[in-house]
Amino acid sequence: MESTRPKIGVYICHCGINIAGVVDVEAVTEYASKLPGVVVSRNYSYMCSDPGQTLIKDDIREKGLNRVIVASCSPRMHEPTFRKALAETGLNPYYLEMANIREQCSWVHEDKAKATEKAEKLVEAAVAKVLLLEALEEKEVDVTPACLVIGGGIAGIQAALDIAEAGFKVYLVEKTPSVGGHMAQLDKTFPTLDCSACILTPKMVDVANHPNIELMTYSQVESVEGYVGNFKATVRKKARYVDFDKCTGCGICAENCRLLNRIPSEFDEGIGMRSAIYLPFPQAVPAKYTIDPERCLQLTKGKCGKEGPACKASCQADAVNFDQKDELLEIDVGTIIVATGYDVFDAKRKHEYGYAENPNVMTGLEFERLVSASGPTGGKIIVGRDKKGEGGFEPKKIAFIHCVGSRDKSLGNEYCSRVCCMYLAKQAHLIKDKLPDAEVTVFYMDVRAFGKGFEEFYDRVRREGIRYIRGNPSEIYKKGDDHALIVKVEDTLLGTPMEYEADLVVLGVGLEPRQDVREIIDLFKLSQSTDGFFLEAHPKLRPVDTASDGIFLAGCCQGPKDIPDTVAQAKGAASSALTLIARGKVKVEAQVSAVNADECRGCGLCVEVCPFGAIELVETNRQGNIVNVASVNEALCKGCGSCASACLSGAIQPKSFKDEQILPQIAVLGVRTE
Amino acid sequence: MVDIEDLREKARETISRDDVRCVFGWKRGTYGYESAPAVVRKPEDADSLIFDATCVQNPASFVVLEEKLPVPRGKEPDTRKIAVFVKGCDSRAVVQHLVENAYLRENIVVLGIPCMGVIDRRKAEKLFGESLEPVEAECSGDKVALNFGGERKEVERSDVLSEKCLRCRYPNPILSDIMLGTEVEKRAEDEFADVSEFEKKSADEKWAFWEEQFSKCVRCYACRNVCPMCYCIDCVVTKLKPQWTRRSTDISENTVYHIQRAWHLAGRCIECMECERVCPMNIPIMTLNRKMTKEVREMFDHEPGVDPEAKPLLASYNPQDPEEYIL
Repeated sequence: MESTRPKIGVYICHCGINIAGVVDVEAVTEYASKLPGVVVSRNYSYMCSDPGQTLIKDDIREKGLNRVIVASCSPRMHEPTFRKALAETGLNPYYLEMANIREQCSWVHEDKAKATEKAEKLVEAAVAKVLLLEALEEKEVDVTPACLVIGGGIAGIQAALDIAEAGFKVYLVEKTPSVGGHMAQLDKTFPTLDCSACILTPKMVDVANHPNIELMTYSQVESVEGYVGNFKATVRKKARYVDFDKCTGCGICAENCRLLNRIPSEFDEGIGMRSAIYLPFPQAVPAKYTIDPERCLQLTKGKCGKEGPACKASCQADAVNFDQKDELLEIDVGTIIVATGYDVFDAKRKHEYGYAENPNVMTGLEFERLVSASGPTGGKIIVGRDKKGEGGFEPKKIAFIHCVGSRDKSLGNEYCSRVCCMYLAKQAHLIKDKLPDAEVTVFYMDVRAFGKGFEEFYDRVRREGIRYIRGNPSEIYKKGDDHALIVKVEDTLLGTPMEYEADLVVLGVGLEPRQDVREIIDLFKLSQSTDGFFLEAHPKLRPVDTASDGIFLAGCCQGPKDIPDTVAQAKGAASSALTLIARGKVKVEAQVSAVNADECRGCGLCVEVCPFGAIELVETNRQGNIVNVASVNEALCKGCGSCASACLSGAIQPKSFKDEQILPQIAVLGVRTE
Repeated sequence: MVDIEDLREKARETISRDDVRCVFGWKRGTYGYESAPAVVRKPEDADSLIFDATCVQNPASFVVLEEKLPVPRGKEPDTRKIAVFVKGCDSRAVVQHLVENAYLRENIVVLGIPCMGVIDRRKAEKLFGESLEPVEAECSGDKVALNFGGERKEVERSDVLSEKCLRCRYPNPILSDIMLGTEVEKRAEDEFADVSEFEKKSADEKWAFWEEQFSKCVRCYACRNVCPMCYCIDCVVTKLKPQWTRRSTDISENTVYHIQRAWHLAGRCIECMECERVCPMNIPIMTLNRKMTKEVREMFDHEPGVDPEAKPLLASYNPQDPEEYIL
């Protein structure tokens, strides 16, 4: 602590009537002016405004203030604002203390007299603390000019392209053998009915060819260390068992595979079949074949037929190599964009819709493959085909069901998946397009046509003769031996129960967090919101940031989104990542935890509780003895104080929130019991 | 039963190793019902070691409280292992130490002794009065035989054994490098009958009880000093900056001290009962600890000091953890 005499300025904000409507700001100003060390006490309508800040700056310069208290809102929003104001005058920005008289006072109280008294106490407590604050230095660290993008769907592709276009290195890591993600599986996109592949494949090719993008497909991030500006990631490049450089993508290997058309294709949602050596879909990028190690006879059983693997024998480029091993690559990046996408709701969990038992009950994504020109039926709507892909019939009566796995508390998914209303409308339209005589009925709870052009599209679809019935089906079951399915539902507008007979039911399945969301959370120290998707730093003002600096979110991993929203967020994430990379330096939090190495007993409780992985035990020499003590990585620490609450010896404390700094504050607020 | 000659031989062998600094165990005391702690630094020191029902101290405390003195310039720190004899309950302290990284497994040698119970000095004094001579005691079955300088007296187990032994679920050491004697059978389950009984009291009755107990406290900190789990370098109760509790011995400060001590043992107390044993004012300290132990076991299904691979209770989080105590 400095020995100079304290000169405190107290600034009380009206926040319009947010504070002044309940708290008597004049009385608080008067009260504060009499507190020890306070040389000036003022109130103003909006302290955060330019004139408000000028008020503070002028007083610092003219009256030589060395401590500033702003009694206003939560520090979350405006602490940086006022710190900047202090810094502009040359005063250390950490000599600022904020008293929250809005969220913690005026907004929660009605009794004006008592609220005013509480505001006075809060200001007095801030005065007790402000004298004990220490000047802190903000450190700057260099930012490695590269970005790691995880997930090669449209979000990852767009973010990678934007950053690469700006001239910086991008590592795009995709788990599956090809980029494209879910968007590549779609036939047409609502509401404009663009062909999904037509607008996506050029971008897929771009990421593969861009000189600044290192595309790593069939790869997964194994571990991430470091902090904003200086991340070190280890990526596992899984063995494809096909020489990447030699493979020409001709496909002769797949034709010759003994398991040709025996393995359900993931890309075709199990409607189509593939071989054990495969290209996920014709437009896959990179157009390199991959051997499925869980299915391939040679890899699982050690032998493939009498003559050995036919793929290897037939490959003219001699690209098949069963001895290939996984590769581990280390990459250094400054920022990370997580764009891991979503899984569609597993319709089996909605037992009453009979998805598992009836092949004519299919999910929206399966229908998407069925109707797609590149799908297993070549775009013909034929259902009930046998395993060889023969037989089947054209459905005559088709039912679409909304909100399967969304807006359903009993399944734990309370949220709206935001895309199902429109994709079902689009699919209904596609059916009418291809089978004009079919009867198409949509069962809905509400139709949410909120986006640009959505309502117009919905209106158009309805006018095409598609019937919308308001009702959430209670059951779908098979009737008799033919294809007929009964949809049991109450038409809630007429109030009549009905049994609708259909020969194809399409479930509008919602979007869910990825199955492996936990692993990604552990990898990047992310948080989840209650719906299970990744939590952004602020729902409105920092929608692409995470609580970990330098890690951003794009696309459906943060919550269900349609394609335009995903692309917009991807561009936002790219811009945020670029801001750091382009500047080349980043300031790290100064209000971090500090360890008193003499008192630390090295139990590691803080290491375990730290949500940011910022603490580790390091060997240190204590008077000749080698002991373990905690050590804080200041670039990772957010000053949350979890460590301090866990530490039994009080050996680790967040700066500006040390026990000796907050105890006098608590003492002022303490209830006296005389 | 442990053969004393075998025990001494094992200690001799251990201290003769180049990589062992000392062995903590027990030796006969100069008076009364409790033996004295022993430190073996050279092979001949092992001749005085004993083990019987008077070996009540928890030697695991010494391992962690062993002061790391400054190493003179130019000299190397002594990094040799510390060896320690442990009973079942003592071994739980070693396990919990490992969980808390108090020392590394490879830095200790654990000599395990199966134990049938140890004497509660207060119970014995009630029956036989104070003894100026060192008493020997031996458990066998439901009886305990006490030897007052040749004069043998036999009493029921429950009459003289410590409460912790009567509800002991871990009579055999959980972890050891060298096991002595033969394993003994677990004789009891712990249903927290004592805590449940205490919980029946009303809040006023409880406060009246603790007010009386805490008023007696002279703040000698014996309970803290003997506790194998209290080994902070600068204990929070004696810290001056900030000063959480004043040094005065009044009901308010004493209460703060005892609550603080109990809280700091949440999910860590291994129930060796040393705190209560050493209290000169006979404060039932374990009653607080036992309540905490019960809460921890019922709420989080956690028992400290039984699994060296376990995470400390306060470092483990599960979204399903009960949160009823959050208002």
